[in-house]
Amino acid sequence: MAALLRGLRAGRALRGLSRVVGAPAAATPQSGGPTRGFHRAALRLQDESKSDKPSSSSSSSHHEHYHSGQDPAEAPTSDREASRPNTSYQDQAGEQDEEYETEEQLQARVLAAALELVPLHGWSTEAIAAAAETLGLSSASTGMFSNGAGDLVLHFVAQCNSQLTDILAEQHNQVQLGQAEPKRTADFLRAAVETRLRMHIPYMESWPQAMSILLLPHNIPDSLKHLSNLVDDMWYYAGDRSTDMNWYTKRAALTGIYNTTELVMLQDSSPDFQETWDFLNNRIQDVVNMAATAKQAQATGETVVQGLLGAAVTLKNLTGLNQRR
Amino acid sequence: MHRAARTALHDGAGVVRQCLKCRVPLQLSARAYGIVPTPRDSEEKEMLDQMLRVDHAGEYGANRIYAGQMAVLGRSSIGPLIQEMWDQEKKHLEKFNEILAENRVRPTALLPIWNIAGFVLGASSALLGKEGAMACTVAVEESISEHYNSQIRALMEADPERYTELLQVIKEFRDDEMEHHDAGLENDAESVPGYWLLKNAIQLGCKAAIYISQRV
Repeated sequence: MAALLRGLRAGRALRGLSRVVGAPAAATPQSGGPTRGFHRAALRLQDESKSDKPSSSSSSSHHEHYHSGQDPAEAPTSDREASRPNTSYQDQAGEQDEEYETEEQLQARVLAAALELVPLHGWSTEAIAAAAETLGLSSASTGMFSNGAGDLVLHFVAQCNSQLTDILAEQHNQVQLGQAEPKRTADFLRAAVETRLRMHIPYMESWPQAMSILLLPHNIPDSLKHLSNLVDDMWYYAGDRSTDMNWYTKRAALTGIYNTTELVMLQDSSPDFQETWDFLNNRIQDVVNMAATAKQAQATGETVVQGLLGAAVTLKNLTGLNQRR
Repeated sequence: MHRAARTALHDGAGVVRQCLKCRVPLQLSARAYGIVPTPRDSEEKEMLDQMLRVDHAGEYGANRIYAGQMAVLGRSSIGPLIQEMWDQEKKHLEKFNEILAENRVRPTALLPIWNIAGFVLGASSALLGKEGAMACTVAVEESISEHYNSQIRALMEADPERYTELLQVIKEFRDDEMEHHDAGLENDAESVPGYWLLKNAIQLGCKAAIYISQRV
């Protein structure tokens, strides 16, 4: 039973590690020398505050060397070494396994704590440093974040987006199960954009700073990626399954609506941002009207073309050109 | 439970469309879910996205080429054959539309270009006469078959069991394209003047289109 639990924990650690190793390009380069060093320092600080083994400080340096090269191998060996009463560093690794978290998880914890300090320090490395200290880490842990405030803002954006996706998926399930009525596209999009923008309300005073950070050249690829994923998700759950140019025009339209509404929200001082939601409503109505007009224009165009073709065929018949070859 | 649901859908679908000259009933078009496995990581998603995107673009382009050919040669003796090949391409396109929608794959942004380019290619090759149209068909179908073959190879190398259904779909489509290619050859494709030049120019264009559609 204990072996099973250790195996499960080892599996979880492995999965976490493989996520770190296979992290997409959007994540900051985490395997650079200095940042790893800071991570080790942060971990050691944690170690020393919680350790109950007298040999920990001497063997932790062995632990470090062992760590840097062989993280993936650590978990399975801890499994095997667990039963042997061993004073080698591998046993330390086994002990460590229970408290070991991946660098990604540690970063997430620090950033989550930093978000709470944003109203005080703004979107900056000061917020991250202060958050690290509240977690008991050294304020030099900001070295883990090579992009500084950009990391914090991007983390927040990603978090909001995934919250929205969860909400939309939940609604989608409800509709599938028949427990809720499907909304019309315009209403659905309005609700989705409003829900997403409301997540900015706690940080409204400092949001202009966050937006300007997102517009920095080195952050633009990531922020664009987040935006395009957000808009794609919204349309997918709104029921869009198009596979032609509509795919692009719909997403472009929604991106425009979202961005302009976000900007309006920045300078809105009405109670509960009512002006913003009215603006949003009007923009969505505009797009709906434009789509209806476009459809009408297309129908008219087709009719006109039919008429012209009919005239052409009549002419061909009259002049005798219309013969089977 | 999954398998039971699938077979139930199979029988319940009812619409077994038989192509007049085809040997195989097109039952596969009854359902689109379950053909492409859920990608395990972003690399696999990237690879599958590129494959499906370019396949979709290819079928769309082929559709437009036949439309162009029909516009010119629709009333001639070769009309019915072109119409039949066009109908098969329409079914392929439908299938890929379903797959793309199901798997949230972005269609290529160059669709309007392939729309016009395909129609123009079909129409201009048909203006060279029936042999010209057939030569164009031979060139395009050969490119597409080669492309499908390389995709089949890539999937087989990666993991044949995981991609069984997708492989089945691609193989079926590749066989259809080879049929069109052979039909083109039977109908005097090679007797058009400048056959070698025409064929290679069209194939070069197809290769460029495939390369671009994978990325844009």
